[in-house]
Amino acid sequence: MKIKRWAALALVFALAGAACTGDDNGDGDGDGDGVTQRDFRFVVVTHGQASDPFWSVAANGVEAAGEDMGVTVEYQAPGTFDMVEMAQLIDAAVASQPDGLVVSLPDADALGPSIEAAVAADIPVITMNSGSDVFADLGVLVHVGQTEFEAGLIAGERFAEEGVQNPICLNQEVGNAALDLRCEGFFEGLGVQGDVIAVDLDDPTSTTETVAGALQSNPDIDGILTLGPTGAAPTIAALEESGQLGEIAFATFDLSPEVLEAIDAGDMLFAIDQAQYLQGYLPIVFLTKYLETGALPLGSKDRVLLTGPQIVTAETASQVVEASEQGVR
Amino acid sequence: MATDVEATPRVSDERVRTTGLASRLLSRPELGALVGVVLVYVFFAIVAGDKNFVSLNALSSILNRAAPLGILAIAVALLMIAGEFDLSIGSLLGFSGMAVMIFISPPDAGGFGWPLWPAVGVAVVLTVLTGAINGLLVNVTKLPSFIITLGTLFIFRGLTIAVTRSLTSRTQLSGIDEIPGFELADTLFGTRVELSGANFNITIVWWVGLTALATWMLLRTRIGNWIFGTGGAVEAARNVGVPVSRVKLALFVTTALAAFLVALLQVVQINSADALRGTGMEFEAIIAAVVGGCLLTGGYGSVVGAALGALIFAMVQQGIVITGVDGDWYQVVLGGVLVVAVIFNNFIRRKAASR
Amino acid sequence: MSAEVAEALLETRRLSKYFGSVIAIKDISMLVRPGTVTCLLGDNGAGKSTLIKTLSGVYEPSEGDYLCDGELIHLHSPRDALARGIATVYQDLAMIPLLSIWRNFFLGSEPTKGWGPFRWFDVHKAREITRDEMAKMGIDIRDPDQPVGTLSGGERQSVAIARAVYFGARVLILDEPTAALGVKQAGVVLRYIVRAKQRGVAVVFITHNPHHAYPVGDHFVILRRGQVYGTFPKEDLAIEQLVQMMAGGAELENLAHELQREAGDDAELRKAVAVLEREVQAVAVEPATVEPQGDATEVPDVVPDGEITPEG
Repeated sequence: MKIKRWAALALVFALAGAACTGDDNGDGDGDGDGVTQRDFRFVVVTHGQASDPFWSVAANGVEAAGEDMGVTVEYQAPGTFDMVEMAQLIDAAVASQPDGLVVSLPDADALGPSIEAAVAADIPVITMNSGSDVFADLGVLVHVGQTEFEAGLIAGERFAEEGVQNPICLNQEVGNAALDLRCEGFFEGLGVQGDVIAVDLDDPTSTTETVAGALQSNPDIDGILTLGPTGAAPTIAALEESGQLGEIAFATFDLSPEVLEAIDAGDMLFAIDQAQYLQGYLPIVFLTKYLETGALPLGSKDRVLLTGPQIVTAETASQVVEASEQGVR
Repeated sequence: MATDVEATPRVSDERVRTTGLASRLLSRPELGALVGVVLVYVFFAIVAGDKNFVSLNALSSILNRAAPLGILAIAVALLMIAGEFDLSIGSLLGFSGMAVMIFISPPDAGGFGWPLWPAVGVAVVLTVLTGAINGLLVNVTKLPSFIITLGTLFIFRGLTIAVTRSLTSRTQLSGIDEIPGFELADTLFGTRVELSGANFNITIVWWVGLTALATWMLLRTRIGNWIFGTGGAVEAARNVGVPVSRVKLALFVTTALAAFLVALLQVVQINSADALRGTGMEFEAIIAAVVGGCLLTGGYGSVVGAALGALIFAMVQQGIVITGVDGDWYQVVLGGVLVVAVIFNNFIRRKAASR
Repeated sequence: MSAEVAEALLETRRLSKYFGSVIAIKDISMLVRPGTVTCLLGDNGAGKSTLIKTLSGVYEPSEGDYLCDGELIHLHSPRDALARGIATVYQDLAMIPLLSIWRNFFLGSEPTKGWGPFRWFDVHKAREITRDEMAKMGIDIRDPDQPVGTLSGGERQSVAIARAVYFGARVLILDEPTAALGVKQAGVVLRYIVRAKQRGVAVVFITHNPHHAYPVGDHFVILRRGQVYGTFPKEDLAIEQLVQMMAGGAELENLAHELQREAGDDAELRKAVAVLEREVQAVAVEPATVEPQGDATEVPDVVPDGEITPEG
């Protein structure tokens, strides 16, 4: 009985140890035929869990870049949208002395000190996805992503063309400054101030109910903008239920197979794609080349390398579907 | 009639061996946790040695992560020793942080526009009240505190979200650094000490200080004895005159105050309050206390043990990231190591008790 | 010792307690003197539990007088009783198994040092006093840090008794202390009862076991169906008589008489009566052939004097 217990304990420890060491080279293993292996290790810390459909595409980009560049990449994210935990993850990553750090920046106040510590430790840092307006002061090299306010503007202008007068904007991750900017830009571009409705990206059922409730209590709503697939999919469901699918101007940010189908079918006007795959892929490439050559692209505007907005409409939707199903778009 | 009987002369029995200091130490509840700390550290030093786990930087990131959890674990451990649970402590963390920010935010943002320290004072009072509500509900209804505080977990979290949104239309408020009086708050709660490149939060000082205070209170005061008694056998304690209801009420107020302190530390250090902050920390604090040797059934445990439990927790969390375990596997490894830590701790305790 | 007639410490006069229409105890009159052991005997349901709860302040009497030191008293709570030195040790013992002996000993009455909010628990003193008090009861505790849960039932009882005596109990009411114990452990408890009596405490020893009561008792009060069936000092009572009263021999006799009256010519019933009468003979006692026991200050040596050893 005693031996059994010791054996069990030893087994658990061994498994834990294996899990810890096993993934060391797992991501950038470079058994890719003929790819030069480089002795670089990059850590990517974002605020989006790989279980989130949007972020899993970005994580795929990170992994692919690791393989193509022959470097080791590690992807970390907090369990929930918790800036305290994310700062602690960045601290841990910095303590492990990587060759480069890639970070998303939804809250500069919370994450700033940790990023500054990385810069002070001579670790090159590139930000992506969020924080396009605040990254520059932290010592970050370059930002890869989309400027959210401008993207929102474009969406608003498109809606204005459709004659929308009563819009709502659905925010599935309150606290993410980037999303706030999208709604702001949207209402500005439209010229009409509408409501921002908060929903829970983790709970599609409650989101569907929230949207259905909003539609019922305000029958004048003629335009809906969602900010991600976790907001878009439940909205499609709610509109189907109320029979208004295709009758209300509906667009979203970011892609997913359901979104692309809806656009193809004419139920949605368009989707604004920020190409998060590139947001995961490019920073790894840039860091690799920066370490080797000392140079890196300076971006299209204020050191921001724009990966979006890429407008996907009914004309282009069907082509993009396949890529979306493969998790690269 | 003799009222005093001659004490029987103490016969030393050759069957008895004197219990030395070593044996005494082995039977302490903290022992398992201490061994756990050493083992986990060695484990990660081996597995992540090339990733610089043994460094001042890594140590600072571990201590910084352990400190807020440690403060909560102190209060949770005391309450657990007295036989009760507070599952609402995470919600109270969000609640009190948000209360402070609502009080000081300018009126055009939906706040009250109060100066810093009165706002903090009122928020403390509010938090004490919530703790008292928990305690009163438990005392009056005599329902298990697990259930009651599970309910208040939702009530207080819901209140935080609902009231904040109705006042300000947001769930995140920032800007405490612009309020006059912030410098003192920053010194007390936001100081970071730099030691050759590694930053240590002042939270660590609060953590260590409060742990020491709580340990003294538990082991060397009457109230500490009452806490053990209440948790060990509540009716028996009541019969000998321990004010059981007051002890429990005081302990629920203590957990609320611990949540307030951590909330304030985070608001000052991160410069924002979030309605969702603290979610899940109630379970982390309970795990830290249990890993540290506190019995779930009450009557036995140690505050130092809970502090060590929080340290183990943080070591595992940061260790996993430093090692480079893919984020997908993080929760699996975290859960696994924690289960092992608790089993191991239990094993050590039973070994020690049978000596 | 019983030759001296000491002042009665506790006295009840026609004490009664009703719960609605139920008469739990009625017209209980008894005396308790310091330095004596008064045994309260009776089968289950005789009213012992109600009586001691009334004596210890849990219940207030419905009728009758309760006197302490010759004065009429009204107890509203067990704390009131404790304040007068009336301590009760219940079967569940008020001991906390996980805590050490010294923590248990002083729970609720911890000795303190220092002042104001910084008063602290004088642990050193607590340990010492616990050791000394247990020694006075004849037990050598080698390790007062030992959790109470590791002690045997008899040892736990002794800690409870030592605690009550230390905190100034003048009357010690013990509720069935030997009920759940084996022979050896029961002997241990009986010895401590004698020790307490020798220290001047008045012990009220409740039990339904006459074999435990007889060796240590000075005075016996037998309860039956809520009333006092009889009160006897030890010199007037033999152990066999005690057993007979406890076994209800008198009731059997009454039953036999009843049946006889009804039986008449019925052969079956006459047979039943015969059986009953044989039983009555078996339980009955010839007063002339029995010698009353003297005062027992020596407790039969059931266990050797010794230290507390952790069991189990």
